[in-house]
Amino acid sequence: MSDQKQRILIKEGWFCIPDAPGKEPYLIGSKCSQCGYTHFPKIVACPVCRKDGVMNEGPLSRKGKLDSFTVAHQGPPGFETPYIQAYVLLPEGIKIFTLIEGVEPLDNALKTGQEMELIISKVREDENGNEIIGWKFRPTTEARIKEGI
Amino acid sequence: MREVAIIGVGMTKFGKFLDKSIKDLGQEAIWKSIHDTGIDPKQIQAAYVGNGLAGVITGQEGVRGQVILRHAGFSDIAIVNVEGACASSTIALREGMIAVGAGVYDTVLCLGVEKMFCYDTSRTLFALSTDTDIETMGGIGFTFVAKYAMDMRKCMEKYGWTQEHFAIVAAKNKYNGSLNPFAQYQEPMTVEEILNSRVVAYPLTLYMCSSPADGAAAVIICARKSAHKYTSKPIITIGACEISSIHLPNFQAKTPGDLDFEAYELPVKAAYEKAGVGPQDIEVAEVHDAMSPAELRGYIVLGFCKGEEIPAWLNQRKTFLRGDLPVNPSGGLAARGHPVGATGLAQISELVWQLRGEAGARQVLGRTGKGPRIALAQNAGGFIEGEPAVSMCTILKR
Repeated sequence: MSDQKQRILIKEGWFCIPDAPGKEPYLIGSKCSQCGYTHFPKIVACPVCRKDGVMNEGPLSRKGKLDSFTVAHQGPPGFETPYIQAYVLLPEGIKIFTLIEGVEPLDNALKTGQEMELIISKVREDENGNEIIGWKFRPTTEARIKEGI
Repeated sequence: MREVAIIGVGMTKFGKFLDKSIKDLGQEAIWKSIHDTGIDPKQIQAAYVGNGLAGVITGQEGVRGQVILRHAGFSDIAIVNVEGACASSTIALREGMIAVGAGVYDTVLCLGVEKMFCYDTSRTLFALSTDTDIETMGGIGFTFVAKYAMDMRKCMEKYGWTQEHFAIVAAKNKYNGSLNPFAQYQEPMTVEEILNSRVVAYPLTLYMCSSPADGAAAVIICARKSAHKYTSKPIITIGACEISSIHLPNFQAKTPGDLDFEAYELPVKAAYEKAGVGPQDIEVAEVHDAMSPAELRGYIVLGFCKGEEIPAWLNQRKTFLRGDLPVNPSGGLAARGHPVGATGLAQISELVWQLRGEAGARQVLGRTGKGPRIALAQNAGGFIEGEPAVSMCTILKR
């Protein structure tokens, strides 16, 4: 057994990590072929139609808009405080809970509605020091320039 | 459905009781609720037991209700365990009500019990994180206080609420809690003290928020028509106890920052309809405010007023103890304490005391000045995505 820290995915098959330079990561959701309802993470049946066999897996938009955020000064075990918790609204209508990277954990660090982009990154460390890898969001370069951050 | 009445209530003081187990806390509330009535305990046919976190905190994952009831001296009754995070014990009440209403049982005990303090704060925080979808929230850093903070931040942007408004409602509830012998925190606090306490997650400061707590609350219910056989006290009827779960968010892409209270409103509307009353009839309410500022959202959800009117409502002290419509006379979750699985029945106990005129220094007067006749409790549990996992509303009538 090696002493090397392992990288463990939150869940296999929920997101795609770029395997070559220039490629972008994305989350994998599912969309109802009948009504268009889209869900993350992927689910087996459509809750609008309450029907199975209608959901198709597919990549979700990499960019969304900031719905809300706060700087948490207290967190569960494995999270270094302060850190930013947020909801990002994807164009598919999905509101996704996420942590934020790339800005200081300050109360004025972000603005409602600003453009955010997906990254795949370390979410926390487990009790053995392994890195738990999952989705996070950060302001897009365009949004940074626009908001002056 | 037969009408169902509450004939007995009882609760422990809420607080930090490292030496007490869920058995100790549970039996105390159970026997207090029995002694609150004149019932022969042998007439209790079933118990519905709500608990949220004992599995993680104490390791008592299974048969929680059976363990508690046996310790409390019961045998050979039906025992059903229910769980729904912070709404666990309102679910226990609802299940008991359905069983009595359907004529399956005549007299039923409903219990809510929680033990959150152990010798390891990180275990308590971890336990709370499991009241979410742990794969998409709890396991990746979600906290309840941050969710409430985000919701309140949106309200500030939309309705013009300020951090001072939040401190005012928190101070109101701390005052109410100071009059409640069952409350975890019985010290009144000024608006300044609350505003100046450390920020936990902006705009929420420490003294606006509930903290871990231990405690239990119990009620005895029976068929309305036989209630007089068990008690000489005013009989409190359950007008409605409604529940909604995993409300499907509107999947049309919405504007970022939009508020959506529909998941909270659904059981409220259903309860008003079932009880045949409206917001104008409510004389006292207990609102689920794990962080005191969320009480203000409750006014909107319950149909009391619009978001924009709330600063004026606070100014006019409408929801204070001597106002037109007192809210959280118990102190609410932040002052009374929020042992999550016991909170629902603690709300109900408070309202029963208020309706009977037994609430002591925190007794509200009601519209006529002769004590309230119609009361409402709003309770919610857990979060999945952006929505409460369980959303409930109970209406009681004297």
